[in-house]
Formats: sequence, C-alpha cells, structure tokens
Amino acid sequence: MSSLATRPSDRLVTIIDVVLLVCAGIAVLAPVAWMVLSSFKQSYEVTAYPPTIFFEPTLDNYRSLSETTPFLQFGLNSLIVTIGSTLLGLILGAPAAFVVSWTRVTWPAIVTLLARMAPGTLFLLPWYVMFRQVDMIGTYWALILTHAVITMPIVIWVLLPFFDNIPRSVFEAAQVDGCSPLRIFWKIALPLVASGLAVSSILAFVFSWNYFLFALVLSNSDTKTLIAASFNFIGEGSTNWGGLMAAATLIALPPLILAVIVQRWLISGLTLGAVKG
Amino acid sequence: MAPIRMQDLVKKYGDLTVIPSLDLDIADHEFVVLVGPSGCGKSTLLRVLAGLENIDGGDLYIGERRVNGVPAAQRDVAMVFQDYALYPHMTVRQNMSFALEMRNMDKKEIATRVERAAKLLHIDPFLDRRPKALSGGQRQRVAMGRAIVRDPQVFLFDEPLSNLDAKLRAQVRAEIKALSQQLRTTMVFVTHDQIEAMTMADRIVVMKSGIIQQVGTPEEVYETPANQFVASFIGSPSMNFVPVTGNGQLLTTSDGRTLPGLREFAQRVPAEGSAILGVRPEHLAVVPEDEAAFLANIDLVEPLGSDTLVHFKLAGNDAIARVEPDRRPRPGEVMPLAPVPGKAHLFDPASGAIIR
Repeated sequence: MSSLATRPSDRLVTIIDVVLLVCAGIAVLAPVAWMVLSSFKQSYEVTAYPPTIFFEPTLDNYRSLSETTPFLQFGLNSLIVTIGSTLLGLILGAPAAFVVSWTRVTWPAIVTLLARMAPGTLFLLPWYVMFRQVDMIGTYWALILTHAVITMPIVIWVLLPFFDNIPRSVFEAAQVDGCSPLRIFWKIALPLVASGLAVSSILAFVFSWNYFLFALVLSNSDTKTLIAASFNFIGEGSTNWGGLMAAATLIALPPLILAVIVQRWLISGLTLGAVKG
Repeated sequence: MAPIRMQDLVKKYGDLTVIPSLDLDIADHEFVVLVGPSGCGKSTLLRVLAGLENIDGGDLYIGERRVNGVPAAQRDVAMVFQDYALYPHMTVRQNMSFALEMRNMDKKEIATRVERAAKLLHIDPFLDRRPKALSGGQRQRVAMGRAIVRDPQVFLFDEPLSNLDAKLRAQVRAEIKALSQQLRTTMVFVTHDQIEAMTMADRIVVMKSGIIQQVGTPEEVYETPANQFVASFIGSPSMNFVPVTGNGQLLTTSDGRTLPGLREFAQRVPAEGSAILGVRPEHLAVVPEDEAAFLANIDLVEPLGSDTLVHFKLAGNDAIARVEPDRRPRPGEVMPLAPVPGKAHLFDPASGAIIR
C-alpha cells in the first residue's frame, strides 16, 4: 500500500490535489477576508488600489452601524423570520420526507425541488398581490411563509436519504409493536434522523437568513431583515463600503456560530446497530 | 395463544401472484415451521400473518377474529425479524418495553415483565446497553425478548437464525425450541434451512411457488414425502434420484442396469412405463456384491467423523451414500450398494407425485 502511494505518478496526483485545494481555498476565503478586513478600514481605504494589507484598524464602521440604523432591530427581524421559517420548514418538511421515503412516491418532493429551483422573482409578483389583498405586507408571517419555500425543500431533500437509510424492518417492528404511523414517525423515525435534522436545520437557517429578495419586497421598515437592510448602504451616487462590509461581517456571523455549535450533531452513524452488525 | 386459520388465501404483488390459493390451519400452541427455497412465498405468508402485507383474496383468522383488514398494530402478534430490527436509539430495556408502553401498560408491570424476559433469555446484564454494543447473538435474544414480554397470541419468526454463525445457530435453535415448550404460544417460524425445520417443528409446511407441497410432522415429511420436491428438499444430503423404466418385473436404469431387490416397486411401474426412483443417502446400505442393486464407482469421499459420504455416479446422475466411517472407502474403489428395504420411493416423472 505504502509503496503504491509513493509512486512518482501518485505523488504528482497528490501535488495537483494540494494545489487545487489551495486555489479553491483562496477563491473561497479571499472575498471573506476582504470583507472582514474592509469592515475595519476607513471608507476611503476600502476602495484604495492596490488594496492595503497593513492599515490602522478602526471600529468606526461598526459604531456607525448601531448609530445610524436600528441594526439590532433588523437583527431581531432576521432571527424571527429565519427561525420561524426554519421551524415551519421542519414541521412541514420532516413528515413530508418521511412519507416520501415510506411510500416511495417521490413526485411531491420533486415538485418542491422545482419550486426551490425556480427563480424567486417568479413568485414575487403573485405573492405581493396575494399578501396585499389579505393585508399581510410588512408582517413577519408574510416573510416566514414565503421563506418556507426556501427551507422546506432543503429539509425534505436533506432528510430523505436519512429516512431511506433506516432499515424498513425497524418501522415494521414498530408496526407490529403497536405503533400508528404517526407514532412511528415521532418515536422511531425522528430520533433516528437527529443528525439529519441538525444538518437540514443549519442549511435551512443559512439559506433563509441570507435570502434577500422576498424580504426586500414583502417587509416594511419595521420588519426588514438584516440582509435587506444592508442594501441601504448602497446608495445611488455613492456606496458606504465600510458600513456595508461591517454589516456583512455581522450578518455572516450567526450561521457560522450555529454551525460550530451543532457540529457534534453532524456526525452520523446513529442507525448503526439497528440490524445485523 | 390462538389458532390461525387461512382459507383460500391469495397474495399478489401487482400482476405477480405470489400465493395463488392457500389453506392452512395452525392449532393453538402449535410450533409450525414454513420451509421452502427462496421465493417460495413463505416470508410473504408470514408478513401476511403479521399484517405487514394485505391479502388479495380469501380469509385469515387469528383465534375467532377475522383479521383480513386489521393493521399489524392491532393484531396482537409479535415478530422476530431476520435482521432483528431493534430500535437503535433505545436501550435493550427500552426496546423491550416499547410495545408495552404503546399499549399504555402500567409501568411496574412493564418493569416486571422486562426483568423476567431478560432473565429467561440471559440478557439481564445488558438491559441498559444500546443494540450497537451487543453481539449478533445478544441482539437476537433482545429481539426475542421484545416479542416475549408482549405475551402475544401468535409469535412469528422470520429466519431469525440466518445471521448467526453455525455454532450459535445450533444453540439458539435449541433455546427457541425450549422456549416454545415453556411459553406454550402458537409459533410460526420461517426458514429455508430444512435442519431448523426438522429439529424445531411440531409440524412442517413445505412450500414451493406459493403452493403448499406437504404439511406434516418432521417424521412424516421425511419418511413419506408427498412428492419429489419435498423428498429432495427435506434431508441432508439430499435424496438421490435416478430415472428407471419398468417391465412389471424389474426396474431398469437408463444405462441398462437392472435393479434386483426392488420387486415390490417394479410392480407399481407399468410395463414400458417410467418413474423416478428416490433413495436417501442414509438408506443406501453396503451389501455383498451378489445382492447389490448398484455397483458404485467412488468419485469422492467426505469423512464427517460420525459417518462418511461417498459420492458416485448412478446412471449418469450424481448420487451420495452415507456409510459407516469404519469402511474407509477410497476414491476409485467399487462399492456394492442396495436400498434399505422399504425406504426407497418412486415418483411420477411428469408430475413428481409419489407413486404408492
């Protein structure tokens, strides 16, 4: 094995792998680094060319965020909408994924996927008209409901393979043991896909948190989410890059923190030992 | 603790008929083994009994109750699955308590029952472990314990021993048999292993293509098989078969050898008629050369310790004789053999039915 791994052609492959990984890492991390660094720069420095790497860091951008905008309120709005739509996505998506896995009737899941893949602008006008009619524009519910279009398909498609991986005989044993389908879902299936629930929750949270379009149109100044509010930093004549970058850095934090906290849930393998080892 | 009655039972998967029409009565307290090759419908029948599959025709009764449309949860049957199907996120104790909790049983009663079943199955030291931390044999016991605590009307076993190694299998086999005598519950056990069927069953149901070939005690299906399929399926090594023709007096094999000493058989085969002669390996005796029905040219010898299997060709067909190990047969030698009187069988070559 080791002699195979040290063959010159293999070593070349390893080197190419490393180079590619470094390139990918730079491509992913460079904008993030630029964002974080810029948030600590004075506005004129942000757009300086060539970009400055060494500079006098300042917290002015962050200070002005809280002074010039109701940043905390926007953050709270974002949290309400994101947590609400993630929960709604879980409540709707988890049973749906279970039923799709159980019955092997997949078309409903595919319909939700198509809805997810369709451009958001497709929904925007009908929704605007609908919510206008029921006087829900600017409410949290309008945002939570519309963001469920983002979160529910994520939950369904992340959970589906987790449910599929549970041996069918485990469900059948529960049936014979006297469980109704609802109880099987609640007592057997859900606990066994706990790691899937964690993964889908994070993904749903992140996608909902970052979704810009619906909040831009369906919220008002009281319910505006962070991502929609940060749009205000882009003016017609000039853009407050420092402020924008400070806002972007803060916006990026919650999903990141969440992912770190629930990392231990991301381990799978709970179903091991269900059947023959 | 209930009899089972199946009347004209039909099971289809789409256009495929798995069980065309099946009638079977299983008595209260009886240990019945359904046996047959893969795809014979035995597991399907068990799943039908459990309520995991619908019936497409006929009637199914457990006790006095017609259970055709009754879901599994309401049938009061317990099932041990081939892969054990334990709940991985629950401890052994929780696994065994689960069905009782679903029935809202008193907590104290649940604890008592679980403790008792765990002692019976020697799994009491593992009650607080998860299935992942158990060996295959221990998981198998937990699966049985989960069924026992329920004190169900009917126990169903779906090939529960097939995932165990040979030694453990023999041990658990004996334990299940002992358990069945202790619990006195109606048990239906599915296996493709005829040894399991022979050793455990009160009655064996031999199935093929969804049709019952024979129902009888282990002795009956072994001694008087209903047809060539049952004869070949029950017994290990399998029964030897050789096509013969008759002239009313003597049987002749296809390679022209006449078989003396089977006169009582020869009369059952019409003149110029043909039949299949079946003799079990253990019913071929080594005899003096002048009494021999066949002279076997030994191809291969398998010493088993308790006895020795001798492989040879019988009119072009593979055949095996089981002889005493003291004979120490060698490949290439010629061994004079004859069927033990009264132990050979004749089958109709077209239908496979036994000719009596």
